[in-house]
Amino acid sequence: MNGIATELIRIVVGLVAVAAFVGLNGLVLVYAERKGAGHFQRRPGPFEVGPHGVIQPIADALKLIGKQLFTPENADPFLFWLAPLLSFFPVLLLFVPLPFGPVLTVWEVDLGLLLILAFAGINVLALLLAGWASNNKYGLLGAGRAVAQSVAYEIPLLLTVLAIAFQSGTLNLSTIVSQQGSWPWQWNIVTQPLAFIIYLISALGETNRAPFDLPEAESELTAGFHTEYSGMGFGMFFLAEYANMIVVSGVCTALFLGGWKGPFVDGFWWYLVKVYALLGAMIWFRWTYPRVRFDQLLNINWKWLLPLATLNLLGTAFLMKVF
Amino acid sequence: MVFSWLHLAIILFLVVGILFAGGPLILASLVAPRARGGDIGMPYECGMRPYGSSWTKFGVNYYVYALIFLAFDVDVLYLFPVAVQYHLTEGWLAFFKVFIFLVFLGLSVIYFWAKGVFTWPHKIRL
Repeated sequence: MNGIATELIRIVVGLVAVAAFVGLNGLVLVYAERKGAGHFQRRPGPFEVGPHGVIQPIADALKLIGKQLFTPENADPFLFWLAPLLSFFPVLLLFVPLPFGPVLTVWEVDLGLLLILAFAGINVLALLLAGWASNNKYGLLGAGRAVAQSVAYEIPLLLTVLAIAFQSGTLNLSTIVSQQGSWPWQWNIVTQPLAFIIYLISALGETNRAPFDLPEAESELTAGFHTEYSGMGFGMFFLAEYANMIVVSGVCTALFLGGWKGPFVDGFWWYLVKVYALLGAMIWFRWTYPRVRFDQLLNINWKWLLPLATLNLLGTAFLMKVF
Repeated sequence: MVFSWLHLAIILFLVVGILFAGGPLILASLVAPRARGGDIGMPYECGMRPYGSSWTKFGVNYYVYALIFLAFDVDVLYLFPVAVQYHLTEGWLAFFKVFIFLVFLGLSVIYFWAKGVFTWPHKIRL
């Protein structure tokens, strides 16, 4: 009885913590992104609401709730509203195997990596439904692009993750972290630098971030798959995108950057520092690089990332036998 | 298969995920104004009246990419069990097995490359 209670409490506390983290993080990242965008373009960014505009994201959220939810004529209303729900549906689950700290994991899963990769795939379906159900030509084109892109970038992602899995001999993220040391030269990034770069590029492609944000390229497709969504419908896609960004950064931190281990004192703060450094880099990329063309986007993946990732995996397998 | 705590956690997290997304949507539908009439429900095409439905036939010229994806993704999944066991294997036989597997995967990309898929021709003959 006592054992049952502790496990149930662990799950419920984890659930509340993850939900709070996702919501809070959405606010932080919206502010960071708008402020970052401002300063990259030599303007102050949001400045009016609160000191240096810190309350701006809350004002944004309230504004989104106050907007009318439109369903366009001729759209399929059921699928149209299913899509934002579906895009957020797997997001909380993706945080379950992430090792935030030595004991700060919601649930240690032996197949943690596979769990994340499997459920992350649902997002593609949501984007496709959103674009198709809104009966809008921009939406449909955006959805087609979203699927082609996510599908393409998933493979180098899988192959680089596999290289680490080969090396560690496990798919459990906590174990992968505990095999690495505290100092940067003991992290997996030293043995797998190519995999790290490929992972970072494909993570940008997977989360539809600039310079690979072709599904929602506003200069050519208005807003791509979420053209017809107003208010909170758009807000849900947005929040899911930010949450997915944390998940890819979190997996990257656990696989390549030593997770919660760091110089001097190990702990969850190192994990958060690394995750937010990666998120900062993603924001930085967005406002630095121009958007690529769509055929270029697919060809970079199939002609460069995929062969390189395959060779990297082969090399890993070879070197493991040599040493 | 025994129902474990992990399964409960997965189901709970998925259900709460839906609620987390549904809550603000329901709240918005209660609070938000309800304007109607006019062209408010017209699909947005930058102010032009849409010509016809978007649910028509159109050439998705990257469906071929979906074919390569199928070939690749399904096969890569087979490598996950291999990844867990690989460090326990002895001798070079395991490496050659992985090598042969990956070479055949690589051949699929080379095949599509040779067929000119990556140059975006109007018509692709496979």
